[in-house]
This record gives sequence, C-alpha cells and structure tokens, in this order.
Amino acid sequence: MRDIARIVENRRESAWTHTLFFDHEVACAPGQFMMVWLPRLGEKPFTLSYLNGITVKRMGAFTRHLAALEPGEAIGLRGPLGKGYPPLKRPALIGGGVGIAELRLLALASPEPRFVLGGRTAEEILYREEFGRLGPVHIATEDGSLGRKGLVTDLLPIEAESYAVCGPERMMAACLPLLPPERTFLAVERYMKCAVGLCGQCTCSGWRVCVDGPVFPGTWVRQMEDFGRRRRAKSGRWEAI
Amino acid sequence: MKPLPEIHPPLVNASGILSYPEVFEAFESAGAALGGYVTKSVGPVEKGGNENPVVVYPGRSEGPVLNSLALPTQSPEDWEKDLAELRLKRSRLIVSIYGGSPEEFASVAERMSPFSDAIEVNLGCPNRVPGEQTIMESIGQSPALSGEVIRQVRAMTEKPLIAKLSPNTDYLAVAEACLGAGADALGCGNTLGPGLAIDVATQKAVLAGTTGGISGPALKPINLRMTYDAYARFGCPIIAYGGIATWQDAAEYALAGACVLGIGTAFLGKGTHEAAALTRAVWEGILAYLEGAPFSEIVGGAHRKGAPDLTHA
Repeated sequence: MRDIARIVENRRESAWTHTLFFDHEVACAPGQFMMVWLPRLGEKPFTLSYLNGITVKRMGAFTRHLAALEPGEAIGLRGPLGKGYPPLKRPALIGGGVGIAELRLLALASPEPRFVLGGRTAEEILYREEFGRLGPVHIATEDGSLGRKGLVTDLLPIEAESYAVCGPERMMAACLPLLPPERTFLAVERYMKCAVGLCGQCTCSGWRVCVDGPVFPGTWVRQMEDFGRRRRAKSGRWEAI
Repeated sequence: MKPLPEIHPPLVNASGILSYPEVFEAFESAGAALGGYVTKSVGPVEKGGNENPVVVYPGRSEGPVLNSLALPTQSPEDWEKDLAELRLKRSRLIVSIYGGSPEEFASVAERMSPFSDAIEVNLGCPNRVPGEQTIMESIGQSPALSGEVIRQVRAMTEKPLIAKLSPNTDYLAVAEACLGAGADALGCGNTLGPGLAIDVATQKAVLAGTTGGISGPALKPINLRMTYDAYARFGCPIIAYGGIATWQDAAEYALAGACVLGIGTAFLGKGTHEAAALTRAVWEGILAYLEGAPFSEIVGGAHRKGAPDLTHA
C-alpha cells in the first residue's frame, strides 16, 4: 500500500505550479487520489495528472517543499484511494485553477472531450496546447489575459453528454446549478487524515470524501448542505468555505 | 448500577471511527445495523492531534492497523452545537470523553451529559503528540486515578457510564476501581500498544507521532481475553471492541461476555453503503446463529458449565 517513488523530473508548469514525475507509473483511475508523504512534513491527498506524476501548486509549507524536490529525491505514495469518475462520453471537462490538473487523465480516457477552463490569469490555465489537440477549449480568466474576461460560469451552459467539474469549491458550487446534475460529476476536496474511511475527518454532509468520493454525482452533491459552505478543520471544528 | 440504554441491534461504531454526528446520520440513512453511535472522544480544549501520517496498514483490513490521531477534538462548546443538531431516528448516542485530569474529565462529562444516552470514559488511549503523556500512561494504568476519574464524572451525570479500558495494563484492577467508583459498564477495550512501523526506504518511523495504537484482527484475541476475564470477575455489562469484522468475531465476543459489540477498523476502505452492508451482515449472521433465541442467550455463554453444544460447530 505504501510505495516509495523517486522523482525523475521537476517540470515548471507556471509561476506557481510544478509537475513532479516519478520513476514508475501508478495504477490510479481518473479522479482517484494518492496520499503523498514527505517524511516529517506530512501526508496530503493529490490526484495524479500523469500516471507517473502529480501537479502541485505552491500554497503552504508542504506544497512548497514538494514543488522544490529535485530528481533523485523520494516521496511516499499511499493509494490509489477513493472513487473516481465513471466512464464519460463526450464530456465537458470544467476545471478551475490547479483543479485543471486532475482533468488531464480523465481527458485522455474520455472520447470527444471538450474543455471549459478558468483561472485568475493565463498562467493558471494548464495544458492548454495538449487539451487543444483533444478537443475544443473554452477559457475564461479573471484578468482577461487569456480567453474571455470573467469566470468559468460565464462560459456555461455548454452542450455535452456529461460533465466533470474540478476546482475551488466555490467555483464548483457556482457551476452546479448550471449543469444537469444526473450527468455531472464533481471532485470534492476536504482535509484528510486517515484517507481510508476510518476517522471521519473529511466528511461532507456525512459522506466521507475519502471513500464515498472524492468524485460524487451531481445529484448527491446537490443534497450536501455542507458543500460550498463549511468543512471540518484539523481539530474537527467547522470552518467556512 | 444503571443499565445501559437498549442498543438494538447491539452493535456500535468504535470511538474515533466515523466520529462525527453527520456521519452517524449518513450511516443510519444507509440502513446500517448499528443500534448506537459513539462520538469521537470529546476533550476539554480544542486540539488538532498529530500531523499526518496518522495511519499505517499492511493491506486492506487484514493484519494490524496502527493509528496515531492522538485525540483531536473541537472545543466542548463546538461539540455542544454539533450534538444539538444531531437527528438520529432510532439509534442511541454514546458520547466518549477524555481529559488530562479527573477534573477535566468531569467538566467535559457535565457538558456532554444532556446530549448523551450514555457516556464512555476513555481511559485507555495509547496515543500522544510528541512530548505529551498518553491518557493510558497518565491515568488508565492507575486503578486509583481511573477510579477517581469515574468518581468525579459520576458526580456530574446521571447517565450510564462506560469505563473504556486499555488492554495494556492490569485491567482487572482498573476495572474493579472504576466499577467501585460508579461505572455501570466496561469498554473492553482500547487499542493496544502503542506499536511502531518503520519505513525501510527512509529508515524512519512512518507515523508522525512515531507510535500508534494497534487495532484490527491483531487486537481481537487480546481484547477477547480481556472481555472474558472481566465478565468472569464482574459479570457487568461490557461493550467489546477489537477486530470485529464478521458475525463470528461478534459472536465470539458475545460468548466471552459482551452485550454490545463495536466495529471500527473493519470499515477501512469502505464507503457508506459498503460499511452499512457489513454491519447488516454481522447482525444477520448473529440472528441466524441464534436460531430464534434472544441475543442475551449467548452473552457470556463461554463461561457456562455443562456439556458443549456441538450443533453450531
């Protein structure tokens, strides 16, 4: 279950994001996640962007260290964990910020994908050339540096047979009412501890995101009162989203 | 002694597993055969517990599991708000509590009492954040201090009290002190150890807290013996925990003397519907084993004299 991977390449994707490539592939389905372990720094959930890589945005101490790893250095990997996306036909893949990274493996696994991507600025729109070779790409940036000036929701609704949404929770919550819930799947993120359904830390309205998700059907997410509103901090205390 | 509330089916989750009221509601809605739910242990002040990793396991649920969560807790005020919102339709709520001193246990008990059908006093947690003492070391291994905790908690609440003991001590002496001080039932027991796991690649302890309490199948024979010994000595109500994953595990504990059976590590990797199905399989297996007899028929059955009944073999 716990596996040690050596870094073979650290590729800078943008001012804030790096992709770390491992020395081996991981049997992780799109939407499933791995717990990435840096000894003495912690262990956090990440969805793969490549079968042998994760894309990391520098946010806090853990991701800063992760993004600074050099070839030859090692990380721990625990997983694959959780439930990913079902097979999607002609999906619209809707991503915001570093959530776009999670859509890459899903895009490669899905026939006729189209993309709806948003970020604060052009730098945040990952893989746009690669996605462009797979299908139409619609982009919105808050500063107007790429695509339409505005939010992802300004690009919705869009015609597709199914929908996958991954990004900041407030963005996903804004998208959900604009999409058909029975054909939409969303990747929910929570602070995780055990990541195997024991401790209850990652609850979203009682569903344990680590084992019931992290990918949930839109019909379920619509029933989750906590989605877009609150999550449990490390002590269990509620904090607003 | 106060009787335990009726917990039917006589199955609960173990404290620190599932943990939160909204998860209990989700389990109840999914048709879990749990007659009661036990909260994560509520402590006197907000605490984040250990950094990750907090869990080590060899495979899925086979083999020993180590955890070192070390009692993260919201403040009692926040727990009060959470528990006030809880809407269980048919299950009982047991609130687990801890503290660093008898006075702290008592203050948490006083606040949690209005929300609970019973209070479980956590005397045996073997986990700590580095630099702290564990509850097991500071209180749970001392009959005198454990008894004092129960005496002070007893003064604060009329609710049935369950003294949850560490298997890692002279548990009969601790149990005797707790029952003498007003405990109504025993919890047999907490996780064992703590134990250790070392990563051979990094040559360091895996758990950020270094050591962790041992649960799962490896714990079962130990807590089963504890249940058996405690029932033989005291004949009191016992909630048993430790490696229960099948109806046979549950039946063994019942035969040893447990009247309520706790499930914990067996939920590893299981979504809500799978976990609810597991609880139903345990209960349906016991019902089939009972062949129409009441559950109480088998409680303590292993202690009865007379010729063995081979019809179940």
